[in-house]
Amino acid sequence: MTLSKSKRNFLSSTTAAAALSAAPAVVRAQSRDPLRISIWGGSWRDFNAEFIGKRFTAQTGVPVQYITGGTIDRLNKAKLSKNNPETDLVFTTSHVGWLYVSDDLFEPLDMSRVPNAAHLFKEGAISPFHVGAWSYVYTIAYRPDLVPSEIKFNSWADLWNPRLKGMIGLPDFDPSHIIYAAAMLSGAKAASDWAMGQAKLRELRPNIRAFYNSDATSQEKIGSGETPVQVLLSGNAYHMMSQGVKINLVVPKEGAIVGIDTMAINKGSKRVDLAYQFMNIAWSPEVQSDIANRQRMGPMSTRATVNPDVAKLPGMFTNSRQWQEEAIVIDHKQRAELLGAWRKWFTENMISR
Amino acid sequence: MNPTRQSHYPGYMVGVFLIPAVIIAVVLVAALTSLFQYSFRETIPGSLKVGDFTLGNFGRMSAWIYLKVFLESLMLAGWTALFNLLLGYPLALALVRSRSRTLKAAILIATVIPMFSGDIVRTYSWLIVLGKNGFINGSLGSLGLIASPFEFLYTPLGVTLALVQYSMPVMVLILAAAISHINPDYEKAASSLGASPWRVFVHITLPLSRPGIISGSVTIFAWTLSAFATPQLIGGGKVNMIANLVYQLGFSNFDFPFAATLSMTALALTLLILAAMRLWLRRFETVETH
Repeated sequence: MTLSKSKRNFLSSTTAAAALSAAPAVVRAQSRDPLRISIWGGSWRDFNAEFIGKRFTAQTGVPVQYITGGTIDRLNKAKLSKNNPETDLVFTTSHVGWLYVSDDLFEPLDMSRVPNAAHLFKEGAISPFHVGAWSYVYTIAYRPDLVPSEIKFNSWADLWNPRLKGMIGLPDFDPSHIIYAAAMLSGAKAASDWAMGQAKLRELRPNIRAFYNSDATSQEKIGSGETPVQVLLSGNAYHMMSQGVKINLVVPKEGAIVGIDTMAINKGSKRVDLAYQFMNIAWSPEVQSDIANRQRMGPMSTRATVNPDVAKLPGMFTNSRQWQEEAIVIDHKQRAELLGAWRKWFTENMISR
Repeated sequence: MNPTRQSHYPGYMVGVFLIPAVIIAVVLVAALTSLFQYSFRETIPGSLKVGDFTLGNFGRMSAWIYLKVFLESLMLAGWTALFNLLLGYPLALALVRSRSRTLKAAILIATVIPMFSGDIVRTYSWLIVLGKNGFINGSLGSLGLIASPFEFLYTPLGVTLALVQYSMPVMVLILAAAISHINPDYEKAASSLGASPWRVFVHITLPLSRPGIISGSVTIFAWTLSAFATPQLIGGGKVNMIANLVYQLGFSNFDFPFAATLSMTALALTLLILAAMRLWLRRFETVETH
C-alpha cells in the first residue's frame, strides 16, 4: 500500500510543524538539565550551594545538582563510571585530584575560558587538570576546658606529651598530616623520607584515643569531649566554634599542613561550557570573600576582601608572605603517589594495633 | 505420597513464583564470582585496576595483625551471642508464657520497635549513653559512685554492648518461636507431679528449646561477625572487626584484591559455622524422632 502525494505532504508538513513546535521545549528541557557537581556532603555541599550554586543558577538559569560522598568513595565511583561520568565538575583534594589525573578522569583545563583564574595565588595551580578553590590547614585543635591549662601546643612534638595519654583523635582516611609531622620531627626534609618518622609515630600510640573517619565523626568526637585533642581541619574547627564549642586552634612553630580543595571537569562531561562558567563564578572576588569571611576557609583568589579579624585566624592565608612562612605544603603529586603506602602502613601499624 | 504435602498449584506457577529468587541468586552469584576472582589478583598501588593472578593475598592473611582482627571479631561475635542468649531468653519466655496480654504486648513492642530505628541511629544513641560525659558516666558521677568516668567507647566492651542491643530483637523472636513450639502440657505434667518451677524450666523447657537456642546463637554470631556500622562508630578505629578492615583496605588503601580475600575468608568462615549448626540441629531432630 502506498500513500498518495497529498497525504505524504500532509504527513511531512505535520511532522515538520510538530518538530519545530517541540524544538524550544527540547532547548528548555536541556537548559533545565542540572550541572552535576561531585562534592562532600554536609556543610561543604551547603556553603557551595549557597555561595556558588545560587549565583550560577541566577546567571545561567541552569540548576545545580550536588552528588555527595567521601573523597575516596567519589574517586572510586568516578573510576567505575569512567566513560560515562555521572558528574560534570568535581571538588576534591589537591592530592587525590592527582589520582583522578593518573586515571585519566579529568579534562585538561583551558584557563583562558576562566577570566577570574588570572588572580589566583600560585599555590592554587596544582596541575593542568585541577586548580585550587580554597585552602585550609590540618593542625592541632584542643578543648581548653578539657586539657590541663599548663599543656601548651607550640610544636607538633607537643602531641607526644605523656600527659595527653588517651586524648588524641586522628583521621584514619588520610594520615598524611601526622605522618609528615612525625617525619619532620625525626629530621626528614621531604615527604619521600617519611619512613624516618615511623618509630616516632609508634611512640604516639598511647596518646591516641580514637580515629575518626569523616568530618562528622571528627566533630562529634571533639564536640563530646571524647577526643579533646585532634589533628583537625581548620574549617571544621571554626564550624564547631560557631556552634558554641570551646576549641583552640593553633599553628605549631613548624607550620600547619595545608590542604587545598580543587575544582576539575570530568572527562567526557557534555556540559563543559557550563562547568567553566561555574568555575569562573567560584573564583570571583565576591564568592572568594564569602568563602573566607563566612566559611573561614582560605581564599584562593588574591582579590578576595577578607575581614581583618578573619584574616588573622590560624590557617587563613590571605597573602603570599603567609603562604611562604606559615604553610607546610606537601608536594601534591608526591603526596598522591605516597598515599597508598602511607595508608597501608598506618592501617597496619597504628589502627589495627 | 502425603496428601498434605501435595501442591495445589500447577508446576509452571511454582516456576513463576521462583523467578524473583532466581534473579537475586544470579546477581549474588555474579557478585561473589567477581569477588572470588579479585581475591586471586595482584594489587596495583593507587589504582582500582588489578594485576596478574597470585596466591599472595592468602599468604598475607597469616600476618598477625590480620589474624588478630579475625580473632577479635570471633570473640566479639561470641560474646554478643552469649549475652543475647542470657538476656533474651527470659524475655522470650515471658513473651510466650505470660498470661498477661499487657505484659506480652509491652515485651513485643519493646523488642520490635528498636528494629525500626536503623542501626546508625541506634549506634549514635549509644555514643551518647556510653560517652565520658554520657548517661551512664554522668549518672554514676553525679551520684558520687565514680571518681573518673568508665571507658566504654572505643573498647570491646562498648562495641559488645551496642551489638547486643542491636541484635537482641532477632534473638528474642527466634527464641520465642522455639519456646512457643513446646507443648505446655509437658510443663503442666511435670508441675502436677510435684516439680518446682525451676526444675520444670531446667528439665523440660530449656532442653526442648535447644533448637532455638542453637539457631538463635548461631544466627546472632554469624550476623554480628559481619557487623560494620557499630564497630565503626563505637570502636572509633581502636576496635576493628573484619568488615571495618575490609573497608579500610578496599576504600582507603585501594587494595581491593586483599579486601576481597578477607571478605571471601570471612564468608567461608560464616558458611562453616552455619554448616556446623545444621549438623548440630540435625542431631537433636534425630533424637526427638527416636
